[in-house]
Amino acid sequence: MKASFVSSLSVSQAMRYSTMRAQGDLAKALKEQNTGKVHDSGLVLGARTAQTVTFARDLERLGGIVDSNGLVSARLKATQEALGHVTGTAQDFLNVLTASASGDAAASVTRDSGAVALGMLTSILNTSFNGEYIFAGINTDVRPFESFGAGSPAKAAFDAAFQTHFGFPQGDPQAADITAAQMDAFMTTALEPQFLGAGWQGNWSNATDQKIVSRIALNETTETSVSANNAGLQKLAMAAAAIGELFDSNLSVAGKKALVDRAVSLVGEAIGSIAQLQSETGVVEQRVTAASERMKMQADLFERSILDTEGVDPYEAASRVNDLLTHIETSYTLTARIQQLSLLRFLG
Amino acid sequence: MSLSSALSIAQSSIRNTARQTSIVSRNVLEANNPDYNRRTAALTNTPGARAVEIQRAANEQLFRQNLSALSAFNGQSTLFTGMERLNLSVNGVGNATSPATALGKLQEAMQLYSASPSNRNLAENTLDAARNVVRTLNDGTNAIQSFRAVADQEITTAVGELSNLLADLERANNAVVSGTRTGRDVSDALDQRDATLKKIAEYVPISTYTRGDNDMVVLTKDGSTLFETVPRKVSFTPTGVYSPGTAGNKVFIDGVPVNLAAGGNTSASGRIAGMIQLRDGVTVTMQSQLDEIARGVITAFAETSPTNALAPAAGLFTWLGGPAVPAAGTLITGLAGQIRLNPAMDTAQGGNAQFLRDGGANGAGYVHNTGNNASYSALLISYGDRMNAPIAFDPDAGIVASATLSDYSTASIGWFDGMRREASNAADSKQALAVRTAEALSNETGVNVDMEMSLLLDLEHSYEASARLIRAVDEMLAALLNAVR
Repeated sequence: MKASFVSSLSVSQAMRYSTMRAQGDLAKALKEQNTGKVHDSGLVLGARTAQTVTFARDLERLGGIVDSNGLVSARLKATQEALGHVTGTAQDFLNVLTASASGDAAASVTRDSGAVALGMLTSILNTSFNGEYIFAGINTDVRPFESFGAGSPAKAAFDAAFQTHFGFPQGDPQAADITAAQMDAFMTTALEPQFLGAGWQGNWSNATDQKIVSRIALNETTETSVSANNAGLQKLAMAAAAIGELFDSNLSVAGKKALVDRAVSLVGEAIGSIAQLQSETGVVEQRVTAASERMKMQADLFERSILDTEGVDPYEAASRVNDLLTHIETSYTLTARIQQLSLLRFLG
Repeated sequence: MSLSSALSIAQSSIRNTARQTSIVSRNVLEANNPDYNRRTAALTNTPGARAVEIQRAANEQLFRQNLSALSAFNGQSTLFTGMERLNLSVNGVGNATSPATALGKLQEAMQLYSASPSNRNLAENTLDAARNVVRTLNDGTNAIQSFRAVADQEITTAVGELSNLLADLERANNAVVSGTRTGRDVSDALDQRDATLKKIAEYVPISTYTRGDNDMVVLTKDGSTLFETVPRKVSFTPTGVYSPGTAGNKVFIDGVPVNLAAGGNTSASGRIAGMIQLRDGVTVTMQSQLDEIARGVITAFAETSPTNALAPAAGLFTWLGGPAVPAAGTLITGLAGQIRLNPAMDTAQGGNAQFLRDGGANGAGYVHNTGNNASYSALLISYGDRMNAPIAFDPDAGIVASATLSDYSTASIGWFDGMRREASNAADSKQALAVRTAEALSNETGVNVDMEMSLLLDLEHSYEASARLIRAVDEMLAALLNAVR
C-alpha cells in the first residue's frame, strides 16, 4: 500500500506545474507564430546568436554600400554625359577648323569658333553634381577650370608669352610678318608649357590629379571621378585658346595656316584622349553596377541564412499552438475531474 | 473476566478512537500544507491495554534530495533571471542597444560619408553614430555597475534573512530537543524545523545530521558549520557604490568565504552563491568585454601621422588617458566608462567634424588631406578598413585573442547568449528536479484526504461497535439489577 501512496497535495500540484509550463510554452509559440522568428534568439541559438547579429549587421552595411554606389553611379553618369558634350564641342570646333584650312571660312568665324569652344569647355568642366564639381579631382568645392576672360591669370600669361616671344602684342600689324616656322616655334616653346606643362595647374586648373576614391563593395575601392587635368582636355583648351586669341586678320597667311594645322592636330589628339577617358569612366560605371548587383545577391544570401537560423516554420508554429491549446484544455478538464474525484462526495 | 472489565475495555477503545479521530482531522486540516508530515495514530500493544502511539511519516533521503534540488534550482534561477535583466539593460531587446549594433551603424555612416566626403551633413551623421557608440559603451558600463550594486544589496538582504532563518531554526531545534528529552510528541516542532531547513536551503546548500535527542547539526556543502546548537555567524560587509574594478566583499559563513561559482549551468547552489556569481563573475567578464570593445574603437579611429613620424594619437574617440592610444592587447578596466567623443571633432562641443575627413585633431602633424580637398576620402575609407582588420584582444576578457573589432563585438553577444541559453536550460531542468523531488517527498510524507476519509469510516465503525458494547453491558447490568430488585 505504501508504495503507491499519493498525497492529495502532489496530485493537484503536479497538474498545476504542468499547466503552468504549457501556458509558458503557449505564450512563446504564439509569439513565434506571429513574428515568424524564434521567440528569443539568444535563448534558442545561444552562442550562434553572434552569427545572426553579424549577418544582420553586414546586411545593413551592404544596403548602405548599395545606396552609396547609387550616388557614385549618378556622378559617373553625369561625368559621362559631360564628356560627351566635350567631344561634341571638339567635333564642332574641328569642323570649323577644317573649313578654315581649306580657305572657305572668314577669319572672324574661325576666331569666334575658338572662343566659343573655350567657353563651352569652361562651362562643361565646371559642371557640378550634388554640390560637387565633377571634374575637380578631389578638390570638389573649388571651380576646377578658370575662365579665360580679360584680367584672368591665364589671359595675362598668354599675352605675356606672346609679347615675350614676338616683341609685340597680338593684333599688332607686325603680325603680318610672322612666318609659319615662327608660329610653330611659338606654339611649341611658349604655349605648350602653359597648357601641357606647369602653367596648366598654375593658371587654368584648380583640380587635383588625385581622384575621388570610393568603397564600392565590402573589400573593394576604386577611383570614381575624373580630373580636368587630362591631356585631351588640355590640348582642346590650348587649340581653342590659340585660335580664339591669334587667328586675327592681321596675321600672315602662313602664320594662319601653321596655326590651324597645329590646332587641327591638337583637337584630333584631344578627341582621341577624351574617348579614352569616356571608356575608362564607362569601365568604372560598369564595375560599380556589377558590385551593386553582387552585393544585392550577397544580401539575399545573408537574409536567407538569417531566416534559416532565426526563422520558424509558420505551419509548425501554428500546429504547436494548437497542440498546446489542446493540452491545456485537457489539463483543465482533468483538474476539474480530479477535484470532483473525492471520497467526500460519496460520504454522507 | 467481568462485565466491568468489558466496560472499561470498551471505554478505552472509545478513548483511542477519539484520539485517532483527532489525528485524522488534523491530517485533513493540513492536507494542503507542503511542510506538514502525515501523522498516523498506530495502536500498540502494551501489557494490559492497547494504547495509541503517534508516528510522523518521514523520509530522510528524499528530504535531503529535495533540499539539494532546492539549493541548485535557486542558485540557477538567480543566475538566469539576473542574466535576463543584464541582457535587457546592456544589450537591449533584440540586441538593439548592444555595442555590436552601434558599431554596425557607425560603419554604415562612415561608408555614406566616405562616398561624399564634402557633405557636412554626412559628417554630422557620422558623428551622431559615433556618439551612439560612446553612449552604448557608457550606458552599458553604468548598467553593469548599478546591477552589481543591486546584487550587493540583494546579498545583504539574503544574508539578513538567512540569519533570521537560523534563529528560527534554533527555536525549532530547541523545541525538538527538549520535547524528545521529556518524551512529548515533537511532530509539530519537527515539521517546523524541516520547513525552516527548506527555506535555508534556498539561500545556501546544506547537509544535515542528527545527534542524540534529535539535535540537528547543519553544515554547508563546502563543510563550514552553519548551525550547531546555536547559529554560526554569517557575515557580509556591503559595498554601496560599484565602479569597474571594484571588488565586492565576500560572504563569510562561520569564517569561511563562499566561493565564486562558474558556468552557465552553474555550480552555484543557493541564492547567495548565484548572486555572488552575478556580481563577481558574469558582470566582471561582461565589463571587461565592453572595455576591450572600447579599446578597439579608440585604436581603430586613432590618428596617425602621414609620415609615421609621430606616435598614433586618439582620434574620433578619446579617453581619460588620451591623447595617447591605449596599449595594444591589454585590458584597461573601466575604459568603456571613460570613452568619450573627441571634443576637437565633436561639433556639439565646439569641435570641427572635418578633422575626421582630413586628420589633424591632434595637430598639424596628423593632417592627411594637406591640400584641404573637399572630396578626400582615403582617410575615411582607412577607418572603415581598420574596423575590419584583426587586432589583438586581451584573452582575460573571455573571448578570443585576435579578431576584428566587428567580430569581437558580436562574439561578445555570442558569449553572453551562449551562457544565458545554458542557464535557461539548466534552470528548466533544475526546476523540474526540484518539483519532482518535492512531489516524491510529498507522496512519501503528505496527506491523502481520501485515505483519511476511509480511515474515518473505520474509526466510525469501531466507535459504533464500542458504543454498542457499552450499551449491551449496560443492558445486561440493568437486567441483573432488575432480577435482584
